[in-house]
Amino acid sequence: MKLITRFIIIYLTVTVIVLGIGGVISYEIIKSEVDKELKFEFMERIDRVAYLLERGRDFHGSRRNIEGDRNLVVERLNRAVEPRDEVTDTLIWHDRLEQNESNVKVSAYRNINGESYYISTHGAMIESDDITEAVIKTLLWILGLQILGAFGIGYFVSGRLFKPFRESLRKIKTFKLQEKKFIPAEETGVVEFNEMNAFVEEMTRKAVLDYENLKEFAENASHEIQTPLAIARGKLELLSETSLNEEQYGYVDSLERTVKKLSRLSESLALLTKIDNHEFDNGDALNISELIEESITQFSEFLSLRNLKLETFIDENVQINMHPVLADILWTNLFQNAIKHNIENGKIRIELTAQSLTITNTGNEPAVTPSKLFERFQKSDQSSDSIGLGLSIIKRIVEQNDYEINYSYADGWHTIKMILNGVK
Amino acid sequence: MKILIVEDNAELLQNMVTYLEREGYRCEEAANYDEGFDKVMSYTYDVVLIDIMLPGGNGLQLLRELKSVRPETGTIIISAKNSLDDKVEGLDLGADDYLTKPFQLPELQARIKAVNRRNNLGGEEIIRINEILLNTQTREVFIDESPVDLTPKEYDLMLYFASNKNRVLSKQNIAEHLWGDYVDQLDNLDFVYQHIKNLRKKLLKSGAGDYIESIYSIGYKLNDRLRKA
Repeated sequence: MKLITRFIIIYLTVTVIVLGIGGVISYEIIKSEVDKELKFEFMERIDRVAYLLERGRDFHGSRRNIEGDRNLVVERLNRAVEPRDEVTDTLIWHDRLEQNESNVKVSAYRNINGESYYISTHGAMIESDDITEAVIKTLLWILGLQILGAFGIGYFVSGRLFKPFRESLRKIKTFKLQEKKFIPAEETGVVEFNEMNAFVEEMTRKAVLDYENLKEFAENASHEIQTPLAIARGKLELLSETSLNEEQYGYVDSLERTVKKLSRLSESLALLTKIDNHEFDNGDALNISELIEESITQFSEFLSLRNLKLETFIDENVQINMHPVLADILWTNLFQNAIKHNIENGKIRIELTAQSLTITNTGNEPAVTPSKLFERFQKSDQSSDSIGLGLSIIKRIVEQNDYEINYSYADGWHTIKMILNGVK
Repeated sequence: MKILIVEDNAELLQNMVTYLEREGYRCEEAANYDEGFDKVMSYTYDVVLIDIMLPGGNGLQLLRELKSVRPETGTIIISAKNSLDDKVEGLDLGADDYLTKPFQLPELQARIKAVNRRNNLGGEEIIRINEILLNTQTREVFIDESPVDLTPKEYDLMLYFASNKNRVLSKQNIAEHLWGDYVDQLDNLDFVYQHIKNLRKKLLKSGAGDYIESIYSIGYKLNDRLRKA
């Protein structure tokens, strides 16, 4: 739910409750004011009747309408009474409306010229239904205006007032660490938004800085590691020149391979870092058909060593947008994988069209879930000598250039498909 | 042959010096930019090895200075950075070769020899090991004046052996030299054996002695003298 919707709902709920309570209060106040006025009016009438009685007017059995009041009752009592007034609410049948109406009744006991009288009258200036109706009508009007107001404010708030907020939100959403650009705080004229923007600037600035430091560290570390590895390698070569027996030779050889593997590992990590650091900006259009054709010649020897059969369906002059170094690494990795994870006397099929590049090879079923193969250090065969970064490098290169790549395995065939006419 | 090695890491420097001196090279050392600059300006060398990252300055700058006074000197850049930009810049400045750490000492030696051959015009175009003769210009091999038909890979292998004669070259060394980075992905180095076997067969067939010795099953060595049977 949007903030503004929630705000309007809360606002309207409060308004309805307030108006409800206000309605009851208004009703009570109006009614008591009206009743008070009626009471005064009736008291005056009674006083008038009493005055007339004092003057000797006889109301007994007189016309029903006394002093223009049809409800006026004057009775002479046989006993002495304390003069007093009583005001009560009473329900009187209303002929016209055919229902009981709440009326104000004023009764008075008076001693006039030695006689005791009971004088009473009742009536309602406005029927209570009318009051209710008036109150509700008024409140509905107010409610209507409030709703209009709420939507008006809502529109204003979500439009003008929240504009800087939405702007900042959009920037945060599109923020990419790799681009190494922090989000600068903009002056909004609202303290809270300014605080938020300042915070966002500080956070992104720090994130970018940390990211840069980390990348720099990763790159430096993998470079720094090469010198000690070079030393170790040299020492091993010097050692191999001394007179060694077969066992010692074996150790030296396996150490040499380990050192080489370490160096490859850190080189691959450095490469990944470089790709992440956008050190290879998008190159111009590159003829991948030529690249593939050339590599086939270079790899033919490895193919024949494992007795692999190669089938190619390569369209000429297929262009992709990629830095030549990356394209070379990408393709070499793909091809090497197809050779390496193959079986003796296996097959490799390369298909290149303007739409896609597909490389399929025979091989054993991978032990890792296909989707995980692109993650770092995932190997289909844990015991293998590979370092498990080849596919990650492939994936980073593909992502960096806004292409798509998929891996699938079925019936002894591994398929890697790269969509070429993708996003670009 | 006189070689100057400009490298700030003492251990690495020592490795190179030890290895190259066994080959009979005269090695001089410089541990930082200023030392390197002084030596380069004061003496002449056949080959100068320069590390890019040096205390007190950049190796590429040193290369620039060297090339301005003695452009004929052979130069090899040694860098921990496998960076294309550095490589291109170094070669543009006139460096003869570029080696990325961690390199192999036999590889270094082969490159030094190649650089030296290229620079000493006519000097060492021909490499001779007894009856075997390599013409590095035409990439041909002769045994007793008659040519041996070798594939390009076999020739490279022969040249690598010739550049590192009497030294043990492990399969790993050979594979990396011949196939470079492509070898990274291949676990099995048996294809090295295939090539050695073919080369050896061709040499023997053409009447050469059996100079290639298998060292346990780990590496190979090209002897310049035949072993006593």
